[in-house]
Amino acid sequence: MNTATHPVAPEEVMAFLDGELAATKAQVVAAHLGQCAECAAIVARFRSTSESLSGWKIPAVPKKMENTLLKMAAEDPSAVQIGKTNIFIRASFWTWKQWTAGLGATAAALLLLLAIAIPNQLHTAMTANKAAAVGRQRAEQRKSYEGIAGNFAGSGQPINDQESKVFSNQIALNSPGVAADSNGLTHGFGDHAAPSFTVDAMIARTASLSIIVKDFAASRISLDSILARHQGYSAHLNASTSENAPRSITASLRVPANELATTLAELKSLGHVETESQSGEEVTQQHADLVARLKNSRETEQRLQAILLQRTGKISDVLAVEQEIARVRGEIEQMEAEQKSLEHRVDFATIELRLSEEYKARLNNSSPSASTRIHNSLVAGYKNAAETLLGFVLFFAESGPTLLIWLAILLVPALLLVRRYRRAAAAF
Amino acid sequence: MNDSPANSQPNTVAPSPSDEHPSDEKLMLAFSQGSAQAFSELFARYKQPLFGFFRRRLTDPAQAEELTQEPFLVLLRSASRYQPRALFRTYLYAVGFKILRAQRRKTIFHATLIGVRSASQDPATHDSPDAKLAIREGLSKLESIEREILLLREFEQLSYSEITNLLRLPVNTVRSRLFRARMALHEILAAPTPQTAAAKLAQSEEHA
Repeated sequence: MNTATHPVAPEEVMAFLDGELAATKAQVVAAHLGQCAECAAIVARFRSTSESLSGWKIPAVPKKMENTLLKMAAEDPSAVQIGKTNIFIRASFWTWKQWTAGLGATAAALLLLLAIAIPNQLHTAMTANKAAAVGRQRAEQRKSYEGIAGNFAGSGQPINDQESKVFSNQIALNSPGVAADSNGLTHGFGDHAAPSFTVDAMIARTASLSIIVKDFAASRISLDSILARHQGYSAHLNASTSENAPRSITASLRVPANELATTLAELKSLGHVETESQSGEEVTQQHADLVARLKNSRETEQRLQAILLQRTGKISDVLAVEQEIARVRGEIEQMEAEQKSLEHRVDFATIELRLSEEYKARLNNSSPSASTRIHNSLVAGYKNAAETLLGFVLFFAESGPTLLIWLAILLVPALLLVRRYRRAAAAF
Repeated sequence: MNDSPANSQPNTVAPSPSDEHPSDEKLMLAFSQGSAQAFSELFARYKQPLFGFFRRRLTDPAQAEELTQEPFLVLLRSASRYQPRALFRTYLYAVGFKILRAQRRKTIFHATLIGVRSASQDPATHDSPDAKLAIREGLSKLESIEREILLLREFEQLSYSEITNLLRLPVNTVRSRLFRARMALHEILAAPTPQTAAAKLAQSEEHA
């Protein structure tokens, strides 16, 4: 059918039948229908469809519903509750099946949550317990040291001397076995010999400071004078003065521990403090151990020298004793150095200082040309893109297998749900 | 229902605006001012069309009955806020549509999660002889939007512009889709379908 033979479109014929056509157009269609058999056939088709449909009768509305509604209207219309059948309001929506499913899902979710949370909790609890145990142990050790130190103060006489005499006698009686026994003796002393050190906590202090200053040169001078005033020194200092960046100094300063607070205060007055942090490492126990070990080694050395003076054994024994003396001496020197370094760390606090200039951009001619900058930007852009791409690849390489596992786990229920949804949507 | 719905409107739907037959809009205004009489008149006019509206779109008659009350309950509830902006009939069917959509969503959701409700599919509770089943089946073969346009035109007797408002479609689309739906339905109904009733029965048993 086309507009050349038919002045009206079939849809217009339909609209005419539906009374939806403007009067003038309706007249044209009516006139055409009288002449055209083809269009008349369409009309007949529509009529037959409508007739078929009109065969679908609906029974009358039940009286019960009518009465309920009219009663409601007569009483109080505003009190009516709508949505008895609404999914969101209807109370009877939850049947026992849904309750079971809902409760089951909630229980499963809770279990999953617990399964994830409990191992973590246990882990943190264990760590906390460990830390507490270590703390207790340290406290007990400190107490025992304090007790021993008190005994010493009370007696006023060094017990060590008496004991060392007893021991040196024993060694003299049994001189060939000295080397073999020395370890055992040292151990025996370790239990009794009290370290003669101050019980005050030894703390190696470290502070870190980042300061922005306006006048860089003046600050540099002030820094030197501050160090000189507090008998400090810089263990390490690195100054950088590049062209297009703020000048800066990174330094590791050492100042006497008791001067730390005043030094820090003076340093802070140089400019605007950007970051500041302080920390202290307690080395009391480390120091105490060192002192005790050093003492034992010295005593061993003394006894060995006493043996050497008596010279009662064979020449090979003498040589063995001398060898042993040399070994013990080496140990002593190493420990002394260690002790010094430790004490130095305690006596001198470390300040990690970063001093930077407040940067003012300057217009100068030495900036690279536009083409160089474009080239650099292009290279940087390419690098960034490549990095991003690589990042994606790495992410999928790293997390891909896990994601796939989850996908596989979730895919089956999701597909089942989609299938059921489609079936349900088609059915209603 | 009239034999040629194209040129006729039932009296209940398009009353003359005289005092004995006030328009729907006037009745609704009277009801919004507290006239219970006006409500019962509106109810009398629309209970059957609305029941038909739900009954033809749902397979479960009990559900259709239940839902038929809902638009009236909405009227009762929101009478005080009524504004005669559109035809009352369009307003009422729009409410009906919303309720129907909510019900469909709920049914689909329910069927997806829990499974298909078997009771609603039981043909024994239907009062449908074979001819009606054939129409239902023929309609179910149409595309959903075309089916809806056809139902609104043929049974609810809505004008093209009312359908346009209700379904939020351009009027040309409504016309062309209605044309397609009518042609397609004619083809379906004209074709011999001996297995229609048997297939329907088998399908419902399968669901059960």
